[in-house]
Amino acid sequence: MTGLVGRPVARVDGRAKVTGAARYPADNPVPGALHGFLVTSEVAKGEVTDIDTSAALAHPGVVAVLTHRDMPRLTVPSFPYPKGFIPMQDTVIHHVGQPVAIVVAQTVEQAQEAATLVAVRYRTERPRVVIDDAAGAPYLPPPFRNRPNEFKRGDATAALAGAEVRVEARYSSPARHHNPIEPHATTAQWDGDRLTLHETTQGVHFTKSTIATAFALPADNVRVVAPYLGGGFGAKGPTWSHTMINAAAARILRRPVRLVLSRAQMYTMAGHRAEFRQQIRLGATRAGKLTALLSTTIAQLSNTEESIFNSSESARLLYDCPNLHVRQEGVRLDVATSSYMRSPEMTAHFGLETALDELGWALDLDPVELRRRNHTEFNQETGQRFGSKHLLKCYDMASEAFGWSQRKRRPGATKDGDEYVGWGMATEMHTFGAMPSTASVTVGPDGKVVLRIGTQDIGTGTYTIISQIVADAMGVPLDVIQAHIGDTALPVAGLSAASATIASVSGPVDRAARAARDAVVGLAVADERSPLFAVPADEVETRHGHLIHTRNRQRRDSYGAVVSRAGKPVEATGSGPNLPGLSYGVVFAEVRVHARLGSVRVTRVVTAHDIGRVMNRRTARGQVIGGVTWGIGHALMEHTVYDRNSGRVVNPNLSTYLVPVCADAPPELEALFVDEPDPGSTALGARGFGETPITGVPAAIGNAIYHATGRRVRDLPITQDKLL
Amino acid sequence: MRSFGYASARDSADAVRLADRTPGAAFIAGGTDLLNLMKDGVQHHRHLVDVNKLDLARVTESASGLRIGGLARMRQVAEHHAVRARFPVLAEALLASASPQVRNMATIGGNLLQRTRCGYFRDIGSACNKRVPGSGCSALQGWNRGHAVLGGSESCIATHPSDLAVALTALDASVHVLGPGGTRRIPVGEFYRLPGDTPQIETSLRPAELITAVEVPRHPTATRSRYLKLRDRATFEFAVVSVAAALDLRGHFVRDIRLAFGGIGTKPWRSAEAEAELRGKNLTVERVEQAGRVLVRGAVPRQDNEFKVELVQRALAELVLGLGGLR
Ligand SMILES: Cc1cc2nc3c(=O)[nH]c(=O)nc-3n(C[C@H](O)[C@H](O)[C@H](O)COP(=O)(O)OP(=O)(O)OC[C@H]3O[C@@H](n4cnc5c(N)ncnc54)[C@H](O)[C@@H]3O)c2cc1C
Ligand code: SF4
Repeated sequence: MTGLVGRPVARVDGRAKVTGAARYPADNPVPGALHGFLVTSEVAKGEVTDIDTSAALAHPGVVAVLTHRDMPRLTVPSFPYPKGFIPMQDTVIHHVGQPVAIVVAQTVEQAQEAATLVAVRYRTERPRVVIDDAAGAPYLPPPFRNRPNEFKRGDATAALAGAEVRVEARYSSPARHHNPIEPHATTAQWDGDRLTLHETTQGVHFTKSTIATAFALPADNVRVVAPYLGGGFGAKGPTWSHTMINAAAARILRRPVRLVLSRAQMYTMAGHRAEFRQQIRLGATRAGKLTALLSTTIAQLSNTEESIFNSSESARLLYDCPNLHVRQEGVRLDVATSSYMRSPEMTAHFGLETALDELGWALDLDPVELRRRNHTEFNQETGQRFGSKHLLKCYDMASEAFGWSQRKRRPGATKDGDEYVGWGMATEMHTFGAMPSTASVTVGPDGKVVLRIGTQDIGTGTYTIISQIVADAMGVPLDVIQAHIGDTALPVAGLSAASATIASVSGPVDRAARAARDAVVGLAVADERSPLFAVPADEVETRHGHLIHTRNRQRRDSYGAVVSRAGKPVEATGSGPNLPGLSYGVVFAEVRVHARLGSVRVTRVVTAHDIGRVMNRRTARGQVIGGVTWGIGHALMEHTVYDRNSGRVVNPNLSTYLVPVCADAPPELEALFVDEPDPGSTALGARGFGETPITGVPAAIGNAIYHATGRRVRDLPITQDKLL
Repeated sequence: MRSFGYASARDSADAVRLADRTPGAAFIAGGTDLLNLMKDGVQHHRHLVDVNKLDLARVTESASGLRIGGLARMRQVAEHHAVRARFPVLAEALLASASPQVRNMATIGGNLLQRTRCGYFRDIGSACNKRVPGSGCSALQGWNRGHAVLGGSESCIATHPSDLAVALTALDASVHVLGPGGTRRIPVGEFYRLPGDTPQIETSLRPAELITAVEVPRHPTATRSRYLKLRDRATFEFAVVSVAAALDLRGHFVRDIRLAFGGIGTKPWRSAEAEAELRGKNLTVERVEQAGRVLVRGAVPRQDNEFKVELVQRALAELVLGLGGLR
C-alpha cells in the first residue's frame, strides 16, 4: 500500500488546467464546424405567429436559419430531461427565452449578428411568473420518479396542538441561477445516423440516453465527450433543449455545428433553483424534545413540468420526531422549468434550521444542545439504525474549535466598534446518490496503467481521487496512471450530480484495479522467466510499480516487465453494487453587522463533517470552501429577478446577478472532518459529500445575524436594507 | 453584435474630425462599457474611432488644481500621489469602482459617459425610454430597487452609475471638451442632465465632442474629503447608495462643506440645501440629521427602493460625522 487515499494529493489535472492544456468541450476543434446561435422568445406566454428569416439569410456567412417549420419531430425524453417539452416543435411559447430559431453561419460573429435580424411576431398574453401572482392555489404534484410529495408520520396536527412549546414561521427564498463560469456548449457531428457530441455535461451517459431518446436512435449511435467541465452546479446535469436543436440543425445541414449559449441565455435555458416558500411549525416539550414537525413548501413550477427539486429530506430524516407532516407543493407559472441546483435540499433546510434556532430562543436553550436533544441514531422512515453516524462528534469538534462555549446568551450583546458581532450555527445534512458504474484498468508493457470509466470531473477532483484509488490498489506511483473519463466510449458510469460521484465510482475503480493487479501477479508467478515464478500469489506485495516476494524481498518483478513478457496488455474490469446514503456536519458562523448601516460581513466559519473516510483532504476542503462561499451568496446576495409584467429576467448577467467575490469569503475558515470510514460504504469507507457543506450555511448566517442584532430575517437574501 | 468600421485617431483634432464626418460614430477608449452595450444590442455604431493613441492620459497638478487627461486610466488616477494626498475622495471613489482589471483599461472620459445599469435599459426585449424614446419605462412598475428617488420623471428613474462623477460633483470639477466647434469647459453640475421627458439625452455633450480633460480646482475642502459606498457585496459592484463629502473644518466649526450622492439621483446628486444646513455652524449629530432630512425632501420612492431614503441619510451621517471626528 502506498497509502495515497486520504492524503491531500494535489490535483493530477491541475497543471493541464492552469496551462490551458486541458481541452474543455467548446475548445475541441471539429474540422468544418459551423456556428449556431439561438434566437429566443421575447415574450413569456403566447404563440409565434410569424418568423421572417429573409434578412438573416441574406447576411454574409449565414448558411441556414431554422425554425419550427424545419425541425424534425423529436420525442420528449422523461427524466433526466426536466423540461417537459422540446422547443421549436410547434409555435407555442411557454417562457421567455424559449428558442424559436437557430441561425447557423460560418463564424460565431456572423451567427450572432444574423440572429438579431430574425424578425419574430407573437401573439402574447400577460404572464404569471412569481409565486405571488400564481393563478390557482398551490397543489400537491404527483410523485416525482416514484417519490411522493407528501410524507406523514404519527399525527403531527394533534401533536402540535398539544405541544408545550410551539414555533410557527414562514420563510422564503428567490429564484437563483447556477452561473458556472463556462457557458453551456455543444458541438454535434453526424456520420450517417451516428452522432458525436462534444458537450458540457455532468453526465456523458445520461446525455447519451437523453439524446438517443429524443432522436429515436439506438443508444449506441450516440457518443458524448466531455473530458473537462468548467463548473456545473447542477445546471449541466440535465441535457437541455439547445443540445437537441443544435444536433437537429447539424443533421439537416450535414455539417458539424457548434452552439454556445450566451450568459443571458443561461438564465432561461438551463434550469434554476425555483422560487420557494416554506411554512414550518414545530411542537416541542419544555425540555426541547421535538414532538411535531410540519413543513409545507411551495415551489415555482413551469407549465410544462411539475417535478419538485427543492425537496425536504432534512425535515424527514435529520431529527428524532415521532410526528411529521411534510407537503411539497407547487404552483404553475409561465417560467422556464427549474431543476436541481447545488444542494437542492438546502432550500428547505434553511427554514428548518432557522425554525430550530427560533425554538432555541423560545426555550432559552442553546441551539447546539437543542439539536443534541433531538439527535437520532435511527433512520426515521425505516426505523433502522444508521451503521455509522458521527454527527454528535461534529458538534463537539466544531464548537470546540469555534469557541462556542463563550457565546453570550442574549442577542445584541456583543459590539466591537461600529459592529454587532453574532454567532450562529446550523446542522448540515445531504443525501447522496449512487449510480451503477463500471471501470476498466489496463496495464501496458511499459508499466503504464490506464483507467477508463465514463464518469466526469466537474471540478470536484474525480481525476485525482480515482487515480489515488488505483495507485493504492495496485501499488503503483501516481505518475504512471492515466485516467480517461468523460466519454461514452468508456465503461458506463453515473451522473456527477446528487453528490454521487465518489459513492458511485470508488468501488468499481478499486475492484478493477485490484483485479488488474491480481491478474499481473498471476502472470508473474506462473511465468518461468519471472523472478517470482512459483511464489504463492498471496506472498506477493505490490509497491511503487514493483511486485515483491514478501518473504524474500530480493525476488521482485515489475508491472512493465511482466506485461511485456506476456506480450499483450492486461485488462480487468470492476463494477458492483453502490449504496446511497447521508452525510452530516455542522457549520458555525460569526457575522459582523454594522450598527447603523446594516451591512453584514461573515468573518469566521468553522465546519465539521462526517463523510465517512476522507478520500483527499485537499479536494474535500475545497468543497467546504466552495460550499461556504456559495452559502454566503445565497444568504446575503444571490437573487434572480423576474419582471412581473413581462416575465423577463431583469438581471441575466454577472454584473447584476451578484455572486460572492473573494472579499465576501470569510477571512478565517476551518474545515474539520471526523474521518471515520463508514463500514456500510461501498466506496472504500467514503460517502458522497459534494453538496453537504452548503446546506446549513444560509441558516447559520441568518441565525448569527439574529444573535448579533435581535433581528430575524426570514426572507433571503438578507440585504442590508432588511437590517436598517 | 453588428459589424462596424474602425479607425484609430492620430490626435484629438483627428479624432473629432473622424467622428464628425461619420454619422453614428462613437469614440472608443477602454471599451469596458461601450463593447458590452454593443454586444448586447443596446447601442449600434457603424463606426468606432479609437482614441487610445491620443496624448491625453496625463495627470498634472498646478497651483490652480488638478488636471486629469480624458484618457487617463482609472487605476493611474487612483494611484497618483497628488490625488491621494490632496483629493482623497477621488482616489477612494475610483478604488471603490469596478475591479482592478476594469480599472486598468477604463478611462476617465469613458467613466463619465458610461450608461446606466438599469436592467431594462440593457435588455433589448424590455421597454425603455432611454434606449427607445417613447417605448415606455419598465422600471416604474417593475423592479426598481436600484433606481433613483430624486430627480426622476415619469419617463425615467435610472441612476447614473459612475462613482467618479459623484466625487467630481462634490469637488466642483469641470469637463473640458474639444468638438467641431472648438473647445468648451462644462462645469460638472451642468454636464449631466435630468431625464425629464428626454431620458435618452444624458449629458450636455454635443455630437463628436471629445472629453480631453477633467479639471479639479484646488479648494480648502478637498484635502479632507472622503467617499462612502454601500453595496450588496463587498466589492466589484455599483453603489446602492454612495456619499462624497469634502469638509473644511476648524475645530467643530464647518467653514465649508460639499456633499454629493450616488445611487439616489438620476444624475450625480449635489445638495446645496443639505450643505447649507451645515455650513458656517458647529458640526453636531442633530445638524447632520437635519441635513439628511433636507436632502431627501421631495424624494419619490418607488416600490422597491424606499429604503434608500433612510439609507442615504445614515450614510451621510456616517461619513460626515466620521470626517468631523464625531464618530
Ligand atoms: C464589471 C464592471 C463593473 C463596473 N463597476 C463600476 C463601478 O463600481 N463604479 C463605476 O463608476 N464604474 C464601474 N464600471 C464602469 C466603468 O468604470 C466604465 O465602464 C469605464 O469607466 C468606461 O471607460 P472606458 O474607457 O472603458 O469607456 P468606453 O467603454 O470606451 O466608452 C464609454 C463611452 O464613453 C465614450 N467615450 C470614451 N472616451 C471618451 C472621450 N474621451 N470623449 C468622449 N467620449 C468618450 C464612448 O464613446 C462610450 O460612449 C464597471 C464596469 C464593469 C464592466
Ligand atoms: S428607468 Fe430609464 S433606463 Fe430604466 S427602463 Fe425606465 S427609461 Fe429605461
